[in-house]
Amino acid sequence: MKTINVMIAGIGGQGLVMTTEFICQAAFLEGYDIKSNDVIGLAQRGGRVWGSVRIGEKIQSPNIPEGEGDLLLGIEPMEALRWQESMKSEAKMVLNRHLVYPTNVQQEQEAYPQDEIQHMLESFDSLELDALMEARKCGNEKAANTLMVGCVSHFLPISEESWMEAIRRTYPEKVREVNEKAWKKGRDLAKEAEFI
Amino acid sequence: MDKRNQQIMTGNQAVARGFYEAGGLVAASYPGSPTVEILESAQQYPEVDAQFSTNEKVALETAIGASFAGVRALASMKHVGVNIAADPLMTFTQTPVRGGFVLVSGDDPGMHSSQNEQDNRNLAKFANMAVLVPGDSQEAKDYTKTALEISEKYAMPVMLQITSRICHSRCLVETSEREEAIQDEFPRNVPSYAMIPPNTFDKQYAMKERLEKLSSHNDAIRMNALKEEDGADTLIVTTGLTYYNFKEVEEKIKPVSILKLGMVYPLPEQWLKGLADKYKNVLVIEEMTPFIENELKLMGITCKGKEYFSFTGELQSEDILEGLREAGLTKEEFAVRSSDDKTEKHVTPRPPLFCPGCPHRPVFDILKKSKVMVNNDIGCYSMGLFPPFEAAHSLISMGATLGISTGMLKANRKAGRNTPLVSVIGDGTFFHSGMPGMVNLINTLHPEDNLTILLLDNGTTAMTGGQKNASTGKRLSEEEKHVDIPQLVKAMGIEDVQVLDQFRYKETSEVVKKAIKTPGLSVLVMSRPCALHFKIKEPVFQVDPDVCIACRTCIRTNCPPLRMKEYEGQEKLKSSIDPSMCVGCSICAQVCPVDAIKRPEGGKRNEND
Ligand SMILES: Cc1ncc(C[n+]2csc(CCOP(=O)(O)OP(=O)(O)O)c2C)c(N)n1
Ligand code: SF4
Ligand code: SF4
Ligand code: SF4
Repeated sequence: MKTINVMIAGIGGQGLVMTTEFICQAAFLEGYDIKSNDVIGLAQRGGRVWGSVRIGEKIQSPNIPEGEGDLLLGIEPMEALRWQESMKSEAKMVLNRHLVYPTNVQQEQEAYPQDEIQHMLESFDSLELDALMEARKCGNEKAANTLMVGCVSHFLPISEESWMEAIRRTYPEKVREVNEKAWKKGRDLAKEAEFI
Repeated sequence: MDKRNQQIMTGNQAVARGFYEAGGLVAASYPGSPTVEILESAQQYPEVDAQFSTNEKVALETAIGASFAGVRALASMKHVGVNIAADPLMTFTQTPVRGGFVLVSGDDPGMHSSQNEQDNRNLAKFANMAVLVPGDSQEAKDYTKTALEISEKYAMPVMLQITSRICHSRCLVETSEREEAIQDEFPRNVPSYAMIPPNTFDKQYAMKERLEKLSSHNDAIRMNALKEEDGADTLIVTTGLTYYNFKEVEEKIKPVSILKLGMVYPLPEQWLKGLADKYKNVLVIEEMTPFIENELKLMGITCKGKEYFSFTGELQSEDILEGLREAGLTKEEFAVRSSDDKTEKHVTPRPPLFCPGCPHRPVFDILKKSKVMVNNDIGCYSMGLFPPFEAAHSLISMGATLGISTGMLKANRKAGRNTPLVSVIGDGTFFHSGMPGMVNLINTLHPEDNLTILLLDNGTTAMTGGQKNASTGKRLSEEEKHVDIPQLVKAMGIEDVQVLDQFRYKETSEVVKKAIKTPGLSVLVMSRPCALHFKIKEPVFQVDPDVCIACRTCIRTNCPPLRMKEYEGQEKLKSSIDPSMCVGCSICAQVCPVDAIKRPEGGKRNEND
């Protein structure tokens, strides 16, 4: 199997570290080698955060080589935009429509890059959704990332069983059920949108 | 693959696991990125006593005491923490180490979360210690165990140099059972453990001898991985994650032999010389300083390294390939850089910012408006340096602000100036290393010197993840032990100590401005707790666009839910608050000149956490 490279991009406080761990667990349970990385930078207070997961037979470096990304989870759209250059042209991406304005945009010094994001969505095989709202419908908006993982799960050679076991291993008891629901919801939404 | 004993672990978790398996009993640390989670993970093993200390020096001393007492000990800290711990370290290293002693230094090439980029392999050499460098979580676990064994066998402290990437990256780790390793009680051997002259004289020889012994022993070789390629005329020497990044591009380069060093100091001189003799070229690939390169050169081995690879930042696969290309080692088809050299598109930066309800927000809003000169310190409040506040003018290292202000006041006095100064320092930093600077103020200042100290007592060490500090207790319950900061400062002989609630914006602003105007020393303790770790759950605020005059005073407080937006029927953009993020601290409402921000009737609290 060729190594699959997953990028996750968002901001501090969005639970990215748990999400990279979750994907690692599922791939591991399926029998793959994994390496992952989380880059949190100067504390996590609303600054940019990104993670990478590499899944394959034997992984050397946890870092995804430039231009080698296969899947991109944009927990925040502008943060996804930063990684556009790191993705293969045939990469798939899922974007959460929930925008969070960085200081420069709040202070009206720069515009939020709406057009560039739109352009990116059009140039890649992509799915855009309001993951927060969808997750809220499942019971807790904190399961938004898991829902987005459900969306891209079609492109990962990992069985539903492994995903469910990975949820049990990654998330505390009280949020397991909502994460299971959210993952399935994401998987279904992607299918409905013919994003598979 | 047998998966029963495999677990996914970060480098930090793996270090804690290695310590546990090796029978480690006492782990001490001071929080700092990238190593915070080592201690937090060690706390999950009931066999291990794992606690954060007030600073790195105390953490190191705690580990020294445990090692003296014959148990395996670990001290973990951020790279700059080793500077704080350097005093006991430089003398402890002279003693014959008993219980295995590993110092984990979290280095940060590329400065993801640090105020400098120091390569602590140099400090370890200075302290006559061995240095092991893991390249992934499995090695982080294994090397922690090896470090403890080597420490006991050669009676020396050992450094594990681990970088941010390794700390936070995950891979599969093979685990094993714990083995106990307790030795006899402390022997009361004064010549060996009481370091005053003449006891120290022969220790200089002992330190030299133990390093020589280790470098000539198989222990210095067995951690290395050597892959020799038939007919290759180049030997690549590398270590840690750089090795794995190199492996990513290996297929693009001409056949070379490769040596991955597990221990980078001391190096096995005879063995290396014999190996290097077989090659025309030796090329060292390592992050930060040319440490290995210099060691090889000292042995008389001709080699290159920093000529091709940056002395700062991380070395990613792409950087390694680029260096190898310059060194003429890439295969023909990769010898020229691919033409599509991408021009990185600009995407607005996203620096971190104060949380909704952060107690530091009103403080920097007030400082900004007062235009005073501010020496800042290290903590979440460092962000007061960033736009839109830009309300502080210097920042060096933890606890430095008080000494720096003292020096500035002296200089200004001698130079005939009397600029008022403000020092900002948090509770965690005050306990860590700010207190000596405060004590130093009595008998130092002249009556005309004007210093205002803002002590931000937010009840936690927030920036590193909200660890408890000596001030936390009073926020938890009446009975909880804690240090009362205002009392402490008064006990230091400072008379003007006032406690303020900075969510009473106007009152706080008046007191601060008065202190800035008045010569002498004032200490103003800001008493509101960190909003992330002591949640505020007050009804949310809302902007009335009909009242709002679009002055943007609220926007300049940089609270995340605030932004200017279009309203139907309004010509101009007006302020707005995202109700899903507001915690109801009221600061924006208090700075609004026209009272446009209010709690709507029956306004609800935000139940998110
Ligand atoms: C010598 C050293 N050790 C550790 C750190 C990591 N560090 C950064 S900020 C901080 C603590 C700040 O605590 P406090 O002063 O209470 O400020 P807060 O973040 O709570 O606002 C620490 C420990 C450091 N920068 N330097
Ligand atoms: S973590 Fe606490 S102190 Fe730090 S920015 Fe958030 S609220 Fe402020
Ligand atoms: S009340 Fe204003 S300043 Fe406080 S959290 Fe809400 S928006 Fe931010
Ligand atoms: S401070 Fe008041 S008037 Fe000024 S923009 Fe904000 S809400 Fe409007």
